Amino acid sequence: MNELRHDHDWALGALYELFASATHDASAAMCRWTNGLITVTLDQVREIALEEVSAELEIGDELLTMVVLTIGSEVGGNLILLFDEVNGRQLAASLLGREPGAEPEWSDLEKSALTETGNILGCSYLNAITRLIGMDLMPSAPYFIQDYGASVVQQAVMTQALTSDRLLLCQIGFRRKDEQLDWRVVFVPTQGMQEAMQRSLHAAS
Amino acid sequence: MNTSTTSRAPGTPGPANDILVGMGQIAAGKTPQRMRAILGSCIGVALYHPGRKTGILAHVVLPESAGRDGSPGKFADTAVPQMLAILREQGMPTYGLTAKLAGGANMFNGSGPLKIGDANAEAVAAALKKAGVPVAGQDVGGTHGRRIEFDCASGEMTIQSAGRPARTL
Repeated sequence: MNELRHDHDWALGALYELFASATHDASAAMCRWTNGLITVTLDQVREIALEEVSAELEIGDELLTMVVLTIGSEVGGNLILLFDEVNGRQLAASLLGREPGAEPEWSDLEKSALTETGNILGCSYLNAITRLIGMDLMPSAPYFIQDYGASVVQQAVMTQALTSDRLLLCQIGFRRKDEQLDWRVVFVPTQGMQEAMQRSLHAAS
Repeated sequence: MNTSTTSRAPGTPGPANDILVGMGQIAAGKTPQRMRAILGSCIGVALYHPGRKTGILAHVVLPESAGRDGSPGKFADTAVPQMLAILREQGMPTYGLTAKLAGGANMFNGSGPLKIGDANAEAVAAALKKAGVPVAGQDVGGTHGRRIEFDCASGEMTIQSAGRPARTL
């Protein structure tokens, strides 16, 4: 039992190291994309009980603006950027160099600015993981969703829920200079992705 | 599994009578309590006894247990029998019940790795049929999330979705 626990802790620690390295790349890409305004930090790699996902991620029952990238294979996963309305609009506006939009409907340009942000972040993470596991990962085009955050996260964790009541999630935060922003990224790797990463990390250790 | 009537996820505010039902959980309540859940591809299935003004809500995640471990509320084929068992334990008759269900969306517009929402809806309907519980109303499918609230006083299930008018079953 202790040995299993040790292996489990080792795996979480190793995955943290991997995601920390990937976050370094993603942060550099985000910094370039936002002209030095925004950086990215790895907050946590952790396991959460299925029934506590929404509470642990502090996703209430409010509507959020999200960008989702899906890697739809056994070695895959989902990456979700989550913003509330105000913060999403502010990011889009800062990328477009204009004031935040006041119309209830997001313009195509605003949506495009946010989905491109998802694309840049997602590709940075996938490139880092690809280097580690030596497999090509093909993400979907990023897509823009405005819905309940919990509903979207629910679908994202479904492949993990097939095999476990505990879910492994990677949480990423954003910073503007010294200020922590209320934007979040959640990455949910499939069981196959976790195993591929662990095999590679074992082989490298 | 949580069968208490005070199961609130930490940090989630709400009226005292509300019970938040998380993924894979089952919660029973009596008037004037209300049970809430946020649904994507999952199904919220409520059984209600109008005479006793008692309800029970399961937040079903997957269609079939297929021998897998997990809380009974997680799977359609184990959730419905478990709901009936809880009602029996509470001295409730299991005849005269009606069911309402919502959820089963494909949130990623059919492009995700799993189209689990449709399978969940079908599996819950099959489990209810097997248990002999008639479905009094349902709002399933689509590509949008749902916020549901089940009122034990009236037996009504109110469903809210982004950009759509609220619907009551």
